[in-house]
Amino acid sequence: MSLPPLQRLRQAPRHLLVCEKGHARHARSRHAAHVRDHAYNCRVSFLIPECGLLPEVLKSTIADVGEYYLVRNLPVHELVAHDFIDAFVKKGSCYALTYKTKIDQDNTAALLPNGNLILSVDKDTYEELGLQGRPSKYSGKKVMRYIITIDLTDSGFHPDSKKHNRVLWALKENKPLEFDFLLAWYHTGAEGSTLVSYFSKNQIETLKPKITFSTLRDLQCPLLESNELYGKPEESCSTEELFEWLGAVLNQVSLDNKSSSFLSTYCCPQPNTIVEKAFLCTITGFIIPEKIIQLLEQLCCYFGEPKLACWLTLTVHGFADSPVSWRENEHGFHKGGENLYNFVIFRNLDYWLQMAVGTNDDCPP
Amino acid sequence: MVRFKNRYVLCEVVSEDPQCRQCIEDRAVGLAVRDAIGRVHGDFGLACCSISFTVKYLNAYTGTVLLRCRKDSYRLLCSALPFVRQLESRNQRYPCFLNTLHVGGTIRTCQKFLIEYNRRQLLLLLQSCTNEEERRCVQKSLLRCSLTEEQCLSGNEDDDDDGTETD
Amino acid sequence: MALSEPAAAAATFERRVLRSAGEHHYLRVWLELPDGGARPSAAQFKQLVVSALRELHGEVGAALPVDVLTYEEKTLSAILRVVSSGLVKLWSALTLLGFYQNRRCAFRVLQVKPCGDWIGQQ
Repeated sequence: MSLPPLQRLRQAPRHLLVCEKGHARHARSRHAAHVRDHAYNCRVSFLIPECGLLPEVLKSTIADVGEYYLVRNLPVHELVAHDFIDAFVKKGSCYALTYKTKIDQDNTAALLPNGNLILSVDKDTYEELGLQGRPSKYSGKKVMRYIITIDLTDSGFHPDSKKHNRVLWALKENKPLEFDFLLAWYHTGAEGSTLVSYFSKNQIETLKPKITFSTLRDLQCPLLESNELYGKPEESCSTEELFEWLGAVLNQVSLDNKSSSFLSTYCCPQPNTIVEKAFLCTITGFIIPEKIIQLLEQLCCYFGEPKLACWLTLTVHGFADSPVSWRENEHGFHKGGENLYNFVIFRNLDYWLQMAVGTNDDCPP
Repeated sequence: MVRFKNRYVLCEVVSEDPQCRQCIEDRAVGLAVRDAIGRVHGDFGLACCSISFTVKYLNAYTGTVLLRCRKDSYRLLCSALPFVRQLESRNQRYPCFLNTLHVGGTIRTCQKFLIEYNRRQLLLLLQSCTNEEERRCVQKSLLRCSLTEEQCLSGNEDDDDDGTETD
Repeated sequence: MALSEPAAAAATFERRVLRSAGEHHYLRVWLELPDGGARPSAAQFKQLVVSALRELHGEVGAALPVDVLTYEEKTLSAILRVVSSGLVKLWSALTLLGFYQNRRCAFRVLQVKPCGDWIGQQ
């Protein structure tokens, strides 16, 4: 870190972009696993070129993205209570993430669908709490942040076990932690009690994801070739160019700039075509991976009938302040906290998957 | 205790105006260079260069200037030198430019280079002499400088300690 | 910088890892101005950014390619794009800017991203 100031002046924060290419119907394709491993998603948007009106199937899938819940001032020990574990964690995929906490300064907690409860706490809290954890990877030489992982579905974590009592004591009496939680629960099979009834004594709000549609007219779209991740000059664009273009479209940046313009020199990557209309849909909320897999599946089926479009994209943004990115890989904020992925699905069901993470992250799986 | 590493930039002032020679002085050159750095690299660059920046040696007669700055920021300094357009002294402005001859780590290497450089310049002068009088004059000074070189170097052995500082 | 692993799963499967390959960084900024008085137009806004760069990093800084991708005059918020090697320069220059037309002002940098995508935090 002791770079001379002039070198530091030229250094931008590190980030990683992983691009994968594969076939969505291949037996060993891992694309669904990548979606499933990315637990906390705050925004999903998809763009379909040459599409004016959304097919009914897709519409109903979007409507079915599901609701999520916000519980205010929920003590963390409620999440390790056995009533809760038996009713929700073991009977489906339960997702919980602290709401409006900052990963680089506040204490944060997250419950993963595999039953792991992850607490990312600062040094003081860690020492008061008295639970075993490990230092955060990105807190430097002088450790100021610790990660505690508790496996709620562990066989040794039954009621009256020493481990369970210790955790309960730590979170209940030693250092009571309270957060606002975002909750979502996905389950198949018999209806049990619901989160609303379980948390009725706490303030629980049911929230619906915000969905916006827009139709973009006369959009410049880059030409893509599913076999060419690197792109070919004059023939197709590369993944990075597409990624940049997509960001511009999602932010309604005008693309028809001249390269001599004073304001902005950004233009659509070459080669491109003008698409008469493109359909853009954005869903914001606490969206669970199971629903994204459904949506992805429906988008693949979109090409079941002959369509004008050669490809479509699905972009998923993760929470910048979640303590994990993929699986249990630690996630930090640093300068941007980005963790996102983007699918490009081609007409022949080849796909490109781009996964991007920022500085304080492991390489995506 | 780490030694601060410096860089010495040897340059010469080139001007069409013979009067310019009068105003080659520490302050004027220092100000002109600072001004150029400020224009080209802004406040940040100026502040970077200002650490231990000084005009270490100046010869108004030959127009030789030796500048010192920190090793980290000598690139900023060197890139700003071509933007020096004038020297100002006593409300008089003389258009001129700085020609960078050498960048060295110690004053000693700069001195060595300067001697070698001046000798080469003398040889060039000798070639371009037009009459006998000039030729004899140049030859004389050439002989003189090769005779005194040994003495001159041994006499200035201590010089390179000037450029180094200890923390 | 690009590193491709051998195709493992399928003949068509391919994986590339790009480390800090993005040429550009994106900043979402918001200009804080006292109420009343003229709001800068898009061109004036860009001029303000360039003048901030010129003040701190001189002509070299002012020559940095900065693009104003979007600018909303109503909210004074904008998205800027800059080459990655100039990110620190731009950010520091924006932070140290204090005046717009002799009125106090301040740039707030809301988000900095290495890729073209932006998150509206919930």
